[in-house]
Formats: sequence, structure tokens, C-alpha cells
Amino acid sequence: MNADQAAQWRDDDKRLAARRRRNRIRYHATQFAIVGIAILLVALFAVAVKDGLARHGIKFSFSFLGNAAGFDISEGRTFAIGEDSWPSFVGFTSNLSIAQAFVTGIVNTIKVAVLAIILSTVLGTLLGVGRLSTNWVVRNLCFWCVEFVRNTPLLIQLVFWYFAVVLHFPPIATAAKFYGIVISQQGLYLPALVWQGGDSAYAIALGAVFLVALVGAFVEKIRSFRWACIVALVAVPAIMLLTGIMELDFPVASKFKASGGTSISPEMAALLLAIVFNSASYIAEIVRGSIDALPKGQWEASASLGLDRRSTVNDIILPQVFRVVLPSFGNQYISLTKNTALGIAIGYPDLFNVYGTIANQTGHSLEGIVIVMISYLILSWIISAVVGWADRRMARQGAMR
Amino acid sequence: MIAKSLKWSRHNLFGKPFDALLTLIVIPTVLWLVYEAVAWALAEAQWDIIPQSLRVLMIGIYPADQAWRAWIAVAIIAALLGMALGYVFAFKARHAGFLALVLLALAAATGTNDLSNLLFLATSAVLFVGGWMLTSWVPLSRKFLVPASFIGLIAIFAIMAPPGANLWGGLLLSILLTLVTSIVTLPIGILLAFGRRSRFSSVRWICTAYIEVMRSVPLIMVVYWIWILMPVLTPQLNFSDVVRGMIGFTIFYSAYVAEYVRSGLQAVPRGQTEAARSLGMSEFDINRSIILPQAIRVVVPPLVGNVLDIFNNAPLVFIIGLTDFLRAGQMILANPQYGDRTYEVYSFLFVTYFLVGSVITFVARKLEAHLARGSR
Repeated sequence: MNADQAAQWRDDDKRLAARRRRNRIRYHATQFAIVGIAILLVALFAVAVKDGLARHGIKFSFSFLGNAAGFDISEGRTFAIGEDSWPSFVGFTSNLSIAQAFVTGIVNTIKVAVLAIILSTVLGTLLGVGRLSTNWVVRNLCFWCVEFVRNTPLLIQLVFWYFAVVLHFPPIATAAKFYGIVISQQGLYLPALVWQGGDSAYAIALGAVFLVALVGAFVEKIRSFRWACIVALVAVPAIMLLTGIMELDFPVASKFKASGGTSISPEMAALLLAIVFNSASYIAEIVRGSIDALPKGQWEASASLGLDRRSTVNDIILPQVFRVVLPSFGNQYISLTKNTALGIAIGYPDLFNVYGTIANQTGHSLEGIVIVMISYLILSWIISAVVGWADRRMARQGAMR
Repeated sequence: MIAKSLKWSRHNLFGKPFDALLTLIVIPTVLWLVYEAVAWALAEAQWDIIPQSLRVLMIGIYPADQAWRAWIAVAIIAALLGMALGYVFAFKARHAGFLALVLLALAAATGTNDLSNLLFLATSAVLFVGGWMLTSWVPLSRKFLVPASFIGLIAIFAIMAPPGANLWGGLLLSILLTLVTSIVTLPIGILLAFGRRSRFSSVRWICTAYIEVMRSVPLIMVVYWIWILMPVLTPQLNFSDVVRGMIGFTIFYSAYVAEYVRSGLQAVPRGQTEAARSLGMSEFDINRSIILPQAIRVVVPPLVGNVLDIFNNAPLVFIIGLTDFLRAGQMILANPQYGDRTYEVYSFLFVTYFLVGSVITFVARKLEAHLARGSR
């Protein structure tokens, strides 16, 4: 009896093992088949593209990148190797190579994206908090602004800012001026900081202190040191301005152009305005959503401790909100960076616009697409990596407290 | 009454010194802006440009003598939208009254005196209400919404194609693009979402890579890329610009739909799968009749939001030379005769976009509330 049972169990074991083996083989066979089909499809696609290009007499290669561009880009800088084989950051000219034209486009895209990320985060947080204001007018004004921007296309906002606002600014001869800012059809001119220290050791030491403080303010873990860094960040520029190592260069408008300061072209101004207002509305919605998602008990506990509303918002609500919104902010930053590609509608030379010019001039549109796609992928990865780093850091701080 | 409003304003406008200060700054500024805008709209603006160019704005460069084809497409769209609406909101008599008012306002605002246009408008409205009533009162008809929408889309293509698909334009093009994209992306997105949690790691990898790549590149680039790539790949098929644009939008938005559906799939408790497995259902049946219906229910509001996103990005087809609503407006402004009407045309475009967008947002919010009530 016992032996019979044991024999049966052994049989069952064998049968089960055989079945498992069969299943495993089937699983791996399917895996291989799927991979094979995928590779086959990609290969077919590549062959079809190659044939199609050959029919049009185009050869798929990236050698065109080294050719001289032969076209101009309205604004932007690129990397160039100077005579002393030291890379420098120069304005793009038509005798530079096509690869450098791509770099110009990427630099322009990053320029707008970084400025827009900073400005829209500030504006969006203000709008989001404004939607929860105790003041009825402010609350509703913020609500309707956000609602209007979110329910209309970004492209129409962009062309409106460009054709109906920026191009209707006064011409430079009668430009509006406030506190050294010149606003005109030809662009915005802002005061710029100019380095006057030359290469004196004292000035360079101050500059180095500033850079160290800048890094320290973000990554220093000990709180008192971080505060010291932040104080230095304010104090060092003040000393530099007072001792004349740095000077503020104010733009001066003449009859046809403005000189001095930094200038923002009308295209960049319109793109920046449109993207900042658009993203700020989405960020406001994220901020409001996360404030609403906080337990009501937080408000009530803070009220029962006798804190007024502003302290509640600043010290109780916003610190908790910023700990949870960062991933959503990251998604918004990525979509903001992608939205800069709309610059082509108003002629801002961002990456996509430069690509369009290159594709027209050289006919290498498919190779260009590969470069553009990889550039956007890398930009997205950088943003999500930075946001992920900040998020982990914030979460750790929250746990320490 | 006065005491009540005083009390209200003390609470809501002058609660604290800071609030009072804000109120005193913001209210006059807003009033001044509104006054300026209204004064401009009533006194200075020359609105006659809108009725004059209404046809271009609505159907772009589609030939005027073929406008009846566009009207039939509008009627089909109205019937489909009505049917979709009946799914969630049962038709009630007060809706009809409200709808009639909206239509009267539309007819009056456009100032059309063409009898055939008014007749077509009325037909579309009747079909809209008919579709709405059908799905709200006849439960059996709800099963036919998906086939009906596919048949409707094919019918629209068949009716509108003869004068040449490259002539499609205006607001109708934006709406058609939105409809086609949002309907076609749904099955593809669901497949991708299931693929992302497949048993086979190769399928998971392929779907994840597709979704992540599409989500990190700009839509305008994808549309342009498909537009230049398709003639190279399939020279014998020779798709029109409109179809290529729709394919580009579909390829891009499938990834977004997949992410929404995936979030819905994650919201379905594991116990559902386990219970279904213990009943001996096959994996396919579990996914189709247990998991998917519950997941879709959760993601309907974000999917409606996605429709708004598609509609708002429809103007990007300018990159492949199509004349959508925004481009039609710019085309009118390019006419030197109308060069000084910038603000009038842009106001009209903004108001129309805002109205359509608000309706979609409103539906999404209502749906969210409706579904939240159901799941309590």
C-alpha cells in the first residue's frame, strides 16, 4: 500500500516536472519568436526605407554633418574649436558645419526650456496658491485664467503672443523703458552683468567662492553650512557690484537699435511668454490638486494651534505639497521642453526649426530625424533624472525631520 | 439683502488687511480691463469679417458647392456624439430646451440667412438629440456604439473624399482629426497597456520602449516624420496629407492612451484576477471581461481629458500644410484687405476653442463625479 502510494507520487512528480519543462520550453520559444519577429520587422522597415531613399537618389549616411552649413540662423551660439584647439562658445555663422548648426538648435531649445521651467514654476505655484485664497476675487481670477489657458491650444496662444502682442510693441525709437529694461518690436533688452575684474587674483577668488556657494546651497547636507552658502550667494555678488568687479550694463536705445545689456529676440520673447503662461496653468492645477489632496486635519490642527492662514500655507501646507508634486512637475517640465518645438510656427530657431532648415537644404531629413529624436530623448532623460534626484533628496529630508 | 451682501463681502473680500489691499488693487484693474475689452468689442471691432469668412473658418478651402458633403459629415458626427452622451447622461426634457436655446444663439450669432444651412443645422441637432435619446432609453442600442462610430467614420471619409482629401480644412478638419485619433487610439492603447504587463519580457520591453520614446518626443516631430516617411515606405499607396496626419497623431497618442489605461489596470484589485482564475477562466477571458471593464471605468475621465489634448494639439497639422481652424484664421488675416482685423479674428478663434474645450472639460468633470457616485 505504502509502496504503491510512493510509486504514484513519484509518477505524479515526473509528470509535473515534464509539464513544467514543456511550459518552460513553450515560454522560451514564444519569447524567441517575438524577438525574431520584432527584429524581422525592424529589418524590413530599414530595407524599405533604404530602397525608398535609393529611389529618390539619396544615400542614408551621416557624413553630411561635417559639411559647411551655408545658411544662417537668426540667433544662437554653438561650440567651435578655435586656433588654440580650445572649444569656445561662439555665434553661429554660415561657414560652420551642419553638426554645429544642430548644436545651435539644441542650445536655443535648452535656453528657452530652462528659463521657462524656472519662471513657470514660480508663476504656477503663485497661481495654484491663489486658487485657494480667502479672497473671492483673487480665487476666481486665478481659476478663470488657468481654465482659459488650459482649454485653448498652445499654438494659438503662441501665435497670438507673437503676432498680436510682441509685434505690436512700439518700434525701438519710441520704445517703452522701465528701470533699464527696453521693450520694443525688435526685442527686449535687459541689463546685463559684465565681468570687469579681468584676471586679478582677488576677483577670480571671489568668483570661485560664488560658484562653490552655488553648488553648496543645493547639495550641502548640513543645515548651518547650507545657510552659510546661501548668505554667501547674496553677499558675494553685492561685494562684486560695490567694488566694480561686476558691472551692470544698461541697454541704451538709439533710433534704430539698442546697444548694451542682453537682448531677447521677439521670437524668443513670444515663445517664452506663451510657454511660461501655458505651463504655469498646468503647474497651478498640479499644486491645487495636491493641496486639495492633503488631509483636512492638517488645516484644522494648524488652526487649532492658533496659526494664521499665511503661516499655515507657508509652514504646514506648502512644505508637504512640494514633497509630493515633484514627479508631476517633472512630467510637466518634459512636456514644456517638447513644446518648445512649436517655435517653428513663429520662426524661433530651436532644434526642430534648425532641423527643418537642414532637411530642406541637404535632403537628409531621415538622418536628421534620428538626431533630433535622440536629442529630445536625452533632454527628457536629463530632466527626469534631475527631478528624480531632487525628489529622493526631499523625501530623505522629510524622513530626517 | 444689503446686510447679507455686506457680510459676504466682509468675509470674502475684506477678511484681512492683506485681502482688502488685494481686493482694492485687483477689482479696479479687472474692471478697467473688462471695460476696455467691452468698449473695443462693441464700438471699434468690425465683426463683419466673421460672417463673411465663416465658410473658410469652418471648412477651409473645401469647395463651396460641395459644402453639403461637409454638412452630412457634421450630421453624422452629431449623431455619434449624441449616442456617446446617452451612455452616461440619461436624456431629460430640460436638456432639449437648453439645446434649442444654444442652437438659436448659434444661428443668430453666425447671422446666416441661407435656408439650406439652417436646415442642415436643424437636421444635425435632431440627429444629436435622436442619438442621445436612443442610447439613454434603449439599453440594447448601447452595444452598437463602437461599431456605429467606426461605420460613421468610414461613411464620413467616403462622403467627404470625392473633391480631394487634401482640401479638408477648417474647424471640421480639427474635429475629424480629434474624432479619428481618439477612436483609433483606444484599441491600440489598450493592446499596448496589456503588452506592458505581459508574461513575456520581450513584449514588455517592446511596448515600454515604444511608449517611453513617444512620450519624450514632440508631437509636431512625429507628425512631420510620418508625413515624410510614408511616401518613402509605401510609394504605391500614396496616402493623402490628411490621412498621413491622422496616422501621425494616432501613433503619438496611442502611447498616452496606453499610459492612462495602464493606470486603470493597476487600479483593479489583484483579488479580481485571482478570483477569476480560481473559477477556471482563461487569461484572455479574465482580461477581457473582468479586468478591462473595471479599468476602463476608472480611466474614462482622463481619457476625455486626452480628447481635449488631441483637439488642442490639432493645429499642429500646419507643419504638413493642412488648413485647420487656426490656419484658416491666419489665411484670412493674410489677405491684405483684412490685415487690420487681427484682434477680431483671434478673438473669434479663442472664443470658439475655449467653448469647445470647456464643453469637453465639463463632460470630463461630470463623468468623474458620476463614476465616483457609482463606485461608492
